[in-house]
Amino acid sequence: MATLRLLLQVAFRNLFKSWVNVIIGGIIFFATFLVVTGGALLDSVDSAMSRSIIGSIAGHIQVYSDKSKEELALFGNMGGEADTAAIDSFAPIKAELEKHPNVKTVVPMGTNGALITSGNTVDLTLARLRGLYRQNSAEGETPERRAQIDSLKAHVRHLANLLEGEQETRKLLIRDDEREPTEVAALAKARSEAFWADFEKDPLGSLEFLENQLAPQVADGDLLFIRYVGTDLDAFQKSFDRMQIVDGQAVPTGKRGMLLSKYFYEEFLKLKAARRMDLIKEALEGGQKTIATDPQLQRWVKENSTQPREIVYQLDPIKSQQAVSRLRDILGSQETDLAKLVSEFLKVTDENFETRYKQFYEQLVPLLDLYRLKMGSTLTITAFSRTGYVQSVNVPVYGTYQFSGLEKSPLAGATNLMDMVSFRELYGYLTEEKKAEIAQLKLKSGTVEVKRENAEEELFGEAAPSTLVADATPGLINENDQITSNGAALRNEDLLKRVYAQKEIEEGMVLSAALILKDPELLDSTLAELQESQALKDLKLRVVSWQKAAGLIGQFVLMMRMVLWGIIVILFVVVLAIINNAVMMATLQRVKEVGTMRAIGAQRSFILSMVLLETMVLGLVFGGAGAGAGSALIRWLGKVGIPAGSDELYFFFSGPRLLPTLSASNLIVAFILIVGVSLFSTFYPAFLATRVSPVTAMQTDE
Amino acid sequence: MSDSIVSINQVTKDYHLGKVVVPALRGVSLQVHSGEFISIAGPSGSGKTTLLNLIGCVDTATSGVVKVAGQDTKLLSERRLTDLRLHTIGFIFQSFNLVSVLSVFQNVEFPLLLQKKLNAQERRKQVMMLLEQVGLASHAKHRPNELSGGQRQRVAVARALVTQPQIVLADEPTANLDSVTGQQIIDLMKAMNRERGTTFIFSTHDAKVMTHANAVVRLKDGKVLDRVTPAEAGLAMASGAEAH
Repeated sequence: MATLRLLLQVAFRNLFKSWVNVIIGGIIFFATFLVVTGGALLDSVDSAMSRSIIGSIAGHIQVYSDKSKEELALFGNMGGEADTAAIDSFAPIKAELEKHPNVKTVVPMGTNGALITSGNTVDLTLARLRGLYRQNSAEGETPERRAQIDSLKAHVRHLANLLEGEQETRKLLIRDDEREPTEVAALAKARSEAFWADFEKDPLGSLEFLENQLAPQVADGDLLFIRYVGTDLDAFQKSFDRMQIVDGQAVPTGKRGMLLSKYFYEEFLKLKAARRMDLIKEALEGGQKTIATDPQLQRWVKENSTQPREIVYQLDPIKSQQAVSRLRDILGSQETDLAKLVSEFLKVTDENFETRYKQFYEQLVPLLDLYRLKMGSTLTITAFSRTGYVQSVNVPVYGTYQFSGLEKSPLAGATNLMDMVSFRELYGYLTEEKKAEIAQLKLKSGTVEVKRENAEEELFGEAAPSTLVADATPGLINENDQITSNGAALRNEDLLKRVYAQKEIEEGMVLSAALILKDPELLDSTLAELQESQALKDLKLRVVSWQKAAGLIGQFVLMMRMVLWGIIVILFVVVLAIINNAVMMATLQRVKEVGTMRAIGAQRSFILSMVLLETMVLGLVFGGAGAGAGSALIRWLGKVGIPAGSDELYFFFSGPRLLPTLSASNLIVAFILIVGVSLFSTFYPAFLATRVSPVTAMQTDE
Repeated sequence: MSDSIVSINQVTKDYHLGKVVVPALRGVSLQVHSGEFISIAGPSGSGKTTLLNLIGCVDTATSGVVKVAGQDTKLLSERRLTDLRLHTIGFIFQSFNLVSVLSVFQNVEFPLLLQKKLNAQERRKQVMMLLEQVGLASHAKHRPNELSGGQRQRVAVARALVTQPQIVLADEPTANLDSVTGQQIIDLMKAMNRERGTTFIFSTHDAKVMTHANAVVRLKDGKVLDRVTPAEAGLAMASGAEAH
């Protein structure tokens, strides 16, 4: 005991004797600091992100078909959606999974992406006109409505003229004379006096012409990529309790419909100028940025002031007039050109931003369509089905939703929710209606089902009808008649009103199923049990954790961890080499001291423990200081929180701030590392020290 | 004589410098009796230090027999040799060889700690007694670098004697000291020899120091030239006379 105390004393006194020790100490300090803080931060991000992933789409466990060519990636892969095989029916899977005592709910899912066109200015104006004509025919015309109609008509005509101008410029720019002749003719007609003179004779027909021929030529509607998750919307909302409806309402039980992500709605479907005003406001409220100094904010202001077209195009003559007078009041200007006024108005500065923002929403926005898609309107989604043909489905948008804490995350916000039936249809899966429609078609055309295995016999065998081809006489099948058969007609309006039974939702194809557990702590064991389950193997299912199901995103923390450990390993290799060298030097310097001790009667084991203990004390003192500083930093950050600097970080932080916590494991890892590395690096020099001969004590050094 | 504490018989010691064999001792025989105060003298390279190393059990002979306290050192393991040094031999070095990070007290206590025979209280008593004898009790808490050369060597003497060894080996104990301090150290050693009966074997080439020995073993070229009393060694007397 006394010997140990002496050794410790020797070790401590030797600690600051040489500057080499201080340098080693510094490195050890830094390395432990890094291990503790880095480890704690990554753990915290990991758990925050797991909350994000589990709470948004993945659930604790995902189950998908074992026949899949690729692994499930709920947030998408680098090159789009993962190629997962369809599971034919959800019901038996659900029944099997719910047998496990720890499974709370099973939610059916399928993810896919599609392109949509958000309506352009002409579409919007025409839609408004159509609305007015309908009101007219229902309630009779009022002078007020007439004035609006005339104003809108003038607006459309104005837009047609603007379009012609644009087409001319385009022709000059791309030297392409080959304009589609039908387009040229349509545009010419839309600009002609005759067309507008005759407009009132058949307003709805004229509108249809404009919608079909003119609107597609206007390029300002965006082609948007939309990602959606088809699911049992009720079950989804119940299972993922972070989900909340923001605008509109939930999709009524059993009905077809979509809930857009609030983020997606704001980011892509809102008037761009308004969106940018929102973003500027948000940035300024953060208190860190000013328009005067931040290039991003300056860019937004510049984009707003140089692109008044988006606003100007929306305004018909009446509203233009209102806008001009309001803006002139606000700006105290004599300018009459709306575009210039809007541009001037949107040229905001730090000083006037707050008032301008208020004025923008109070004065200008009421004249405009703030969103290109209104709650309750129908979105036509066109997707490539699994078999490669294009499938179009109309889905009404009931509302927007968000996950609390992840409001600003583009990643969590990238997913829109869709009812399971529409999803299946877009996926190319035969819905009940389609099956009925096909059965009807078969009946009409007298098709006979031929089994593959005896196809040859039935088609070409003795019993086969000899006039197999002759039936296809031209003109016999009326194509138009086929298209407007009962099934197609049904699709347009009635489908949207139909209420599907829970059975229909569940007894159909899904791509995956999300499991919510009763006790999340048991995730690992539950996962293992499900993976071992023979029943699930028989159903050809693959069971994965949320982490794997999230694809690349789930691996993010793992990658970060690898980078951190890479740095730590390099650092410790350096530490190892330096300690090794330093202890070697120290041993050489102390040969005489060691020799004396040996001569006086110290055994080799004594020398060994002395040297080892010294490095260990070195490691523990500086490592302890590093760990202490690291824990202090984490504790402080745990109180203050790390703000999510960019929207992307919201997902990783699972909210606006990350409050890192320190777990004992971080400290234990650091402790083991330090002790291990210092001991390991000292073994050889310590061994050398034991070989110092006591004779050296006798040697006289000059 | 039967009570020789050190018995050396026809001992040779060769050092290997690369392929060259350098003989340091060429057949030395020597008997040292308990309580003797022996000086080993001789010019540089005569084998003084080698002989002391063999007696001190820090080195082993190439041939011949070295018996220390009755034990043939050749037959002992490294471990046992270390134990022999710890319990039977005390060392005083030319350059003091104190552990710089330890206090005077701790330096003296060090061999007792290695021995693990005494408890803290007994150790304290023993150490303080020795420090008083060497006149450094008041410096117990000092570090070696706060002491003068003479004081350091006195600490070393205390350290060498604290375990009450049978033999104390001193290799040129006065070489790094001025003559007055050197004299004090020799006086101290002599007093210890007288009071405790400890055998002292020291090497020196200082003729004045040799005069205190009760025997002088003169080495030359690795061989014992003779073993005489200081009086018989005329040189020693002569230089002693010169000094007066």
